[in-house]
Amino acid sequence: MKPRLVFEESQACSRVSPREMSAWTMGACGLEKRGSFFKLIDTIASEIGELKQEMVQTDVSLENGLGPTEAHSMVRHKDDGYSEEKDVKTCPRDSGYDSLSNRLSVLDRLLHTHPIWLQLGLSEDEAAGVLRAQPPGIFLVRKSTKMQKKVLSLRLPCEFGAPLKEFAIKESTYTFSLEGSGISFADLFRLIAFYCISRDVLPFTLKLPYAISTAKTEAQLEELAQLGLNFWSSPADNKPPNPPPPHRPLSSDGVGPASRQLCLINGVHSIKTRTPSELECSQTNGALCFINPLFFKVHSQEIGGGPKRPCTRTPPDANGTERPRSPPPRPPPPAINSVHGSPQLSGPAAPASMPETVAHHQHGDGARLGAKPTPVPPPRLKKQASFLEAEGGAKTLIGGRPRPEPAAGPAGGAGGAPAAAVEEEEAPRDCTRARPAAAPASPSRAPWRGGRQRLSDMSISTSSSDSLDLDRSMPLFGYEADTNSSLEDYDVESDQETMAPPIKSKKKRNSSFVLPKLVKSQLRKMSGVFSSFLTPEKRMVRRIAELARDKRTYFGCLVQDYVSFLQENKECHVSSTDLLQTVRQFMTQVKNYLSQSSELDPPIESLIPEDQIDVVLEKAMHKCILKPLKGHVEAMLKHFHVADGSWKQLKENLQLVRQRNPQELGVFAPTPDFVDVEKIKVKFMTMQKMYSPEKKVMLLLRVCKLIYTVMENNSGRMYGADDFLPVLTYVIAQCDMLELDTEIEYMMELLDPSLLHGEGGYYLTSAYGALSLIKNFQEEQAARLLSSEARDTLRQWHKRRTTNRTIPSVDDFQNYLRVAFQDVNSGCTGKTLLVRPYVTTEDVCQLCAEKFKVADPEEYSLFLFVDETWQQLAEDTYPQKIKAELHSRPQSHVFHFVYKRIKKDPYGVIFQNGEEELTAS
Amino acid sequence: MMAIRELKVCLLGDTGVGKSSIVCRFVQDHFDHNISPTIGASFMTKTVPCGNELHKFLIWDTAGQERFHSLAPMYYRGSAAAVIVYDITKQDSFHTLKKWVKELKEHGPENIVMAIAGNKCDLSDIREVPLKDAKEYAEAIGAVVVETSAKNAINIEELFQGISRQIPPLDPHENGNNGTIKLKPTSQAGRRCC
Repeated sequence: MKPRLVFEESQACSRVSPREMSAWTMGACGLEKRGSFFKLIDTIASEIGELKQEMVQTDVSLENGLGPTEAHSMVRHKDDGYSEEKDVKTCPRDSGYDSLSNRLSVLDRLLHTHPIWLQLGLSEDEAAGVLRAQPPGIFLVRKSTKMQKKVLSLRLPCEFGAPLKEFAIKESTYTFSLEGSGISFADLFRLIAFYCISRDVLPFTLKLPYAISTAKTEAQLEELAQLGLNFWSSPADNKPPNPPPPHRPLSSDGVGPASRQLCLINGVHSIKTRTPSELECSQTNGALCFINPLFFKVHSQEIGGGPKRPCTRTPPDANGTERPRSPPPRPPPPAINSVHGSPQLSGPAAPASMPETVAHHQHGDGARLGAKPTPVPPPRLKKQASFLEAEGGAKTLIGGRPRPEPAAGPAGGAGGAPAAAVEEEEAPRDCTRARPAAAPASPSRAPWRGGRQRLSDMSISTSSSDSLDLDRSMPLFGYEADTNSSLEDYDVESDQETMAPPIKSKKKRNSSFVLPKLVKSQLRKMSGVFSSFLTPEKRMVRRIAELARDKRTYFGCLVQDYVSFLQENKECHVSSTDLLQTVRQFMTQVKNYLSQSSELDPPIESLIPEDQIDVVLEKAMHKCILKPLKGHVEAMLKHFHVADGSWKQLKENLQLVRQRNPQELGVFAPTPDFVDVEKIKVKFMTMQKMYSPEKKVMLLLRVCKLIYTVMENNSGRMYGADDFLPVLTYVIAQCDMLELDTEIEYMMELLDPSLLHGEGGYYLTSAYGALSLIKNFQEEQAARLLSSEARDTLRQWHKRRTTNRTIPSVDDFQNYLRVAFQDVNSGCTGKTLLVRPYVTTEDVCQLCAEKFKVADPEEYSLFLFVDETWQQLAEDTYPQKIKAELHSRPQSHVFHFVYKRIKKDPYGVIFQNGEEELTAS
Repeated sequence: MMAIRELKVCLLGDTGVGKSSIVCRFVQDHFDHNISPTIGASFMTKTVPCGNELHKFLIWDTAGQERFHSLAPMYYRGSAAAVIVYDITKQDSFHTLKKWVKELKEHGPENIVMAIAGNKCDLSDIREVPLKDAKEYAEAIGAVVVETSAKNAINIEELFQGISRQIPPLDPHENGNNGTIKLKPTSQAGRRCC
């Protein structure tokens, strides 16, 4: 499991081992584990209860009136879920949405205002310029070009000598931490939030600008955020937009920065009394993040669900105070901060074939810059208001109002399945899985709610100072959407979604009828506990997928338009390779766009360590591009293969090969028996259901592993490729699955190029090789064909994939033939024709006559120009074979196929050295 | 922290000369918990330090039978190095080796590092290929050459160290890109990183 989870071991919430947790997160809710599932929840709940009690004792005084009640209720939560529920109802802080709007945690504040303090593009001087005018404790996060790292620039008080100091931010594969500190965080926001509360390696805690720390509503924060970098020079800074609410504990802040700091210190103190030893021990152990286990995770839920809630659903409840939010996903980025990806992007990223995308985009952009809220239907608008909302928002209200959910779900995207529906689908599935557990659980459901409540309460008590002011009544609701998926391997599941087996869907239906609503929601809530462990990676992927469905964003437009363009224009690709290549290219371009654009809010760099960004983006691409296109791509691939005859060829040869005994195929190792072959077939069938090339490759690897196991047969002997490749060929033939051909092609063309050299790439290559052997099995031809044609193909494939990011040359397409046309009137033009291997020159000539609109085809013929000589091709030759032959020659030749007028010459073959000078194509 | 460079290495040579035995020996001796096990012996990885870099060898085995010959390009494309193995007790395998070298020169990646391994040197009493021949040939083509014995673990480490040394260090300015595979074939054969 990921290191991030290590912290669970270290502190109070910890009996849940990461391993166990991961098992749950993966959705391995086997029947036999039913019991432990609940035990797990119980454990967490009681741990939290203890923790909370502790905290309440330290912090009660700061809870400003509510503390005692709350402490009371909390202590009771621990033991009695039912009464707790009641308590909650009487407790104003937990009762509803009205309290949400003016209680923003420090994390919320940070998340909303990152355009202000997260200035990755700022130079050192500029940062110094900004910070010099600020009181001590104010900070920026920027990227140091010198260190090639993100740094925290902190304004120091005068007694420190220097006006500011920079602290490097270390990024490991999964975490962010300050250089020198042992505490690491899942993302940048959590890191900063932590240092707003605890100084750890800093000289003192970080401070939020006054306006941010006193903002009452998200709307206010949003408004501030709109200013971006200009915030620092605008009157908004230092001037509270609204007087701080009198009843707030942090009202002491209102007096001024100094007292605010005091308060913070107070808060810190109260935490520190609990934590110093933890801090120290974590220090020695490197990056151990004990701090944030539940505390920050709970926050994260709040960010996700809580704070967004009011704006997500436009507020029939409680949001009287809310102002209309600005539509843009992210406020207009300050000039320096972000190179807005769109202008430069519209060129490369939007294929020329889809001009409307660009137009649309520009329009969207304009709207964004226009900055003022358009009265667009709120659910959509809000939807993308910010990160985590995707998961948080949709389900947030479930507890209260289950119905509006579908409407408000991420249904936005045209084309894709409305996400609300997906969620609906997921929820029951979730129940299905947990169902065996559900019955025993239902009587005791209240305690679970208690558990949930305690989670949130805990955060309240932790949050004695304003910076920690976390109270939200139902933080976990925010995660429910997530939750469902976090309990199962979401991607695999959704991978299969496309073709859910009938049995499964039936089960689903059943469960949703059988399970009372309450139980269901309980289950959801329980899983909410786990969802807090959802990795930022998964959240990011989901966030991007959300964005992709939202046509109001440039990214959403790009993706949606491309998807529908492909689906509607079946004839725009001439070959399967062509199709897959353009899809791959599109994904690569969109990845580039996403990593540069400011449409991701918050920016991906703040959540994902840099060396993981590409991995995460790749996953997101699979989800938002390949998933909707999977069916279409499959159909097209099959279409191409049927059309060019390779389907039939493979089919016939599979039969031939299957009749051979293993030895004839060069197999001298044990081979899988019938049962094993069946197992392998099942794996291949599962593979077909996946849309992610990575996941498909994983299954291929499992197949190969199984083959090895059979081969080794406990002999301890290690088999290399000499033995493995023949066995693989044999197995593939035995499986007799024509679809494997397109599967392999799909993987080879769409797999992330960085994986091609690894194990996946190796076995993919082997599988491709095995299939080519089968395809070319026709004995007498086998050797010869393979040595030219297959080799040619392989070489071209490799060239394409390794020089991946350059635009592929049309010559790479195996069924293409580039033919130049030479005409007295129009000079020389070229066209790329679809010419299959067994198409004769005669046919090509006919095609050329059509394509080049030649009136007198009998006057023209196809010529090969190679080595400075012209050769008229005989009618019964195969241009593709000739091309393959030329490609397979040791030296590479420059050659051109030219369709031109036949000289009135008695000879069929004409050699004209340089006389008819022509630079074809 | 040292940068990890992934280097694709392909194994060529007649069937039965001991290609995979060499790799198994290389990968499995000195068991090291850093090695992530692979699913089979056709593809194996091992990371070795070299100068201030770590070289992670991604070793692609190929099937040596003639009928699979045509698939080889797919395996050697993009390789930073090729280990071509012959059996010192089989003259034929040395001929095959020469064919591979020729093919690599013509179709292989530019500047691919070539290493020749004369395997089964524990059987030198029935040797057919004199060491001198191999050395002269290797020198002529600028390849690393060693006689190895996978059986007795002779010169296996040395073979791969020799390859490592022939891999030029990364250009400093390229170090900025992280997370991607760096496969850079030798640009100057003489440069050494250790």
